[in-house]
Amino acid sequence: MPDSALADTRVIDLSQGIAGPYCTRLLADLGAEVIKVEPPEGDYARRLGPFPNDVPHHDRGGLFLHLNANKKSVTLDLETTSGRVVLRKLLANADVLVESEPPGVMASRELGFEQLREEFPQLVYCSVTPFGQTGPYASFKGNSLAAMALSGLMYITGDPDEEPRAMTGAGQHIDVSMLEALGCADEYNTTTYAYLGAIRKRFYSRHSIPTYPSEIFPCRDGSIVVIGGATGFPLMMAVLIERPELESNPLFQNLWLRFMQWEKFEEILRPYLAEQDWEDLLTRAQELRIPFAAVLDARTLLENEHLRERGFFAEIEHPELGKVPIAAYPFKMSETALLVGRSPLLGEHSHEVLGEVGYEAEDQLVLRERGVT
Amino acid sequence: MTLPLDGIRVLDLAQVYAGPTCTRILSDVGADVIKLEGLKRMDITRNFVMPENNGKNDYWNRAGYFLLRNGGKKSLTLDFSDPEAVELVKRLVPYADIVAESFTPRVMAKFGLDYESLKAIKPDVIMISLSGYGQTGPWRDFTAYGMGLEPASGISSVTGYRGGPPLRTGISFTDPYSGVVGAGAVLAALHYRRRTGKGQYIDLSEHESAIPVAGYAIMEYVLTGRMPERIGNRSEWYAPQGVYRCRGEDNWIAITVRNDAEWEAFCHAAGHSEWENGRFGDVLGRFKYHDELDELISSWTREQDHIEAMHLLQKAGVIAAAVLNPKQVLMDPHLRERGAFDMIDQPDVGVRPVARQLGAKFSAFEPDSARPAPKLGEHNREVLQGMLGLSDEELARLEEQKVIGDTPEGAVPLDVMRMFVQWPTTTFQQMGTIAGLDADYREQLGIDGNGNEKAK
Repeated sequence: MPDSALADTRVIDLSQGIAGPYCTRLLADLGAEVIKVEPPEGDYARRLGPFPNDVPHHDRGGLFLHLNANKKSVTLDLETTSGRVVLRKLLANADVLVESEPPGVMASRELGFEQLREEFPQLVYCSVTPFGQTGPYASFKGNSLAAMALSGLMYITGDPDEEPRAMTGAGQHIDVSMLEALGCADEYNTTTYAYLGAIRKRFYSRHSIPTYPSEIFPCRDGSIVVIGGATGFPLMMAVLIERPELESNPLFQNLWLRFMQWEKFEEILRPYLAEQDWEDLLTRAQELRIPFAAVLDARTLLENEHLRERGFFAEIEHPELGKVPIAAYPFKMSETALLVGRSPLLGEHSHEVLGEVGYEAEDQLVLRERGVT
Repeated sequence: MTLPLDGIRVLDLAQVYAGPTCTRILSDVGADVIKLEGLKRMDITRNFVMPENNGKNDYWNRAGYFLLRNGGKKSLTLDFSDPEAVELVKRLVPYADIVAESFTPRVMAKFGLDYESLKAIKPDVIMISLSGYGQTGPWRDFTAYGMGLEPASGISSVTGYRGGPPLRTGISFTDPYSGVVGAGAVLAALHYRRRTGKGQYIDLSEHESAIPVAGYAIMEYVLTGRMPERIGNRSEWYAPQGVYRCRGEDNWIAITVRNDAEWEAFCHAAGHSEWENGRFGDVLGRFKYHDELDELISSWTREQDHIEAMHLLQKAGVIAAAVLNPKQVLMDPHLRERGAFDMIDQPDVGVRPVARQLGAKFSAFEPDSARPAPKLGEHNREVLQGMLGLSDEELARLEEQKVIGDTPEGAVPLDVMRMFVQWPTTTFQQMGTIAGLDADYREQLGIDGNGNEKAK
């Protein structure tokens, strides 16, 4: 097997939930050895399902599998001094530590960046929290909904009269804030204010740079994303909907007019789309170089011919779940292997990993019986 | 100050949003990024959002949208439709560690700039292609926009009001997301090159990079056979959760209550201890009677200021966040203290706050993100003469032949183009796509001054 890009990298992953574990999942796909250190009861994401037959089981959660593929699992109670002694042995051979505790919690366990930097000068210490380690909201409780609310992304998503909508999604210290990570998703919202004094508002989740239409419409067998694109209008759109005479219609010619009189434009478009099937629309639009797109869901993603040919979903074998398709790595690399694997069972690698740092079988038994691992 | 990517050079052929986000992040952490645009095909986002809504003169050098993703880069104009320009690109390749591009798969091969060709020139080059659907498969040649890729990735299928149709976010969501993923892929490839001396090719499908965001929905179907439903702002795991209307015109607060203790804290903070017991007293009741609970919670939030209510609830230990509009985001004390906006002095624009594209702070260095975006062709001479040694005469000839230049060549006359770049903002306000229009916004942002009057 070819070498992996991060084959020389070892990550101690204390993070739980979604954001931190997805960070380390990407590192694991790239070949890093990711040792997930969980409390004895497990990452709380092990409780979140979905579960086969809706029967909860810490090793059978679908979300956990998705976020923790290719990692190893070691259980360790970091609330105890003995647990922290074991962790320090693991850190001696590690390049990266990732954690997602509320600010201050790691320091209270004597595991903060400042407390570890002298002993482990090589360690890249990454903290992933909703609002970062500093600032007035640092101690706020948060989740992705809260980060989306404060980022402005929520305010511009949804129908204008309804509530805004969220979306269902040498060593050093890296302070990652979920809120600020949405800074690059600020497409032109704060810019519109900083350049025009205009406050963008949600308007059916429509772009206000008038690339209207660029949204989801119903069609005969589902939905289709209709996008005019930079060059699609006016002729090609008129040809696509089999009414070439509309080429000279002002609604097809003038992008501002189309944006402002969108209801009139939709009166033309909707009846036609209602008689068409999405795959046919998609194919014909793309043949005319109009960037229509499909609206896919869990089932149609898994059945999608394009993704199948690309090998995007990979089937893994899981001791508790059997053969399961999961989303594999999000890009392909020509020289280095990307890994496809399963999530670890709770504590599956405790024996192996503790053995590597020098704990004999009898010591491991003591640690286990005292509830440290 | 040393930055992690000092000494790394990127040839950036990417345009619009996803690719430029990827290379902007590399630039912020120290890479020297040279952005290539054609005079007939400049980055289209040079047309988006003009200061004071004024598309005068060289408007393409002042667009706010362009600044966000291209601050700190150098601009070189080379039009690939000209064989001489392609030759110049090939002469630049030996100086590049990374080549980034975001065309549909046919384009680079057509110009002889595909990975195999680049590798023949520079064996250890790292090339990343960020395309809509990847370099292989039946959809490879599809043209793609972020507005389409979000629904195609499955994210929209689980976004929307209960019982309503699938919904997009109000931005091109997959673009920044795949840009960040792409930057990560490039860093991994650089790490590998440092270890082994080998370059490689990265095929990033923006579609595929976003699909994992819908991971829960996919696993629900895989493990239970059920198709996940759209549940508005509610949670699969916690109740109540929602976005509730507050006092004022269009003010809202997002609230999540995860357990009995947080519910108790919420009821106390809201002054409604009577909700603590009875049918809402336990987790099951709060799930079962979520609709009624939403009514009660709204009856309280409607009387509250959304910012004050956030602080009140957070103080009590409840997850609560005000829904900020873009102006409030710019004014937010937390983001300001964290330095989430760089104050960038853009020539002929003035000082403007610009959202940082890299949402992380580093103890060992400060990202070099507070730099203006380049004017079109601003670095033609620096790059072509400084790196390739072209003479003044050669530069003059290339300019004469419109291979390089500083003014876009287009079929659309400039005066017509200006009509497009100037937004009918008052109409937008009447339509409701703009919630407010502040004539004194520069004073409000604290950026007023002569700097803003430099524009001709």
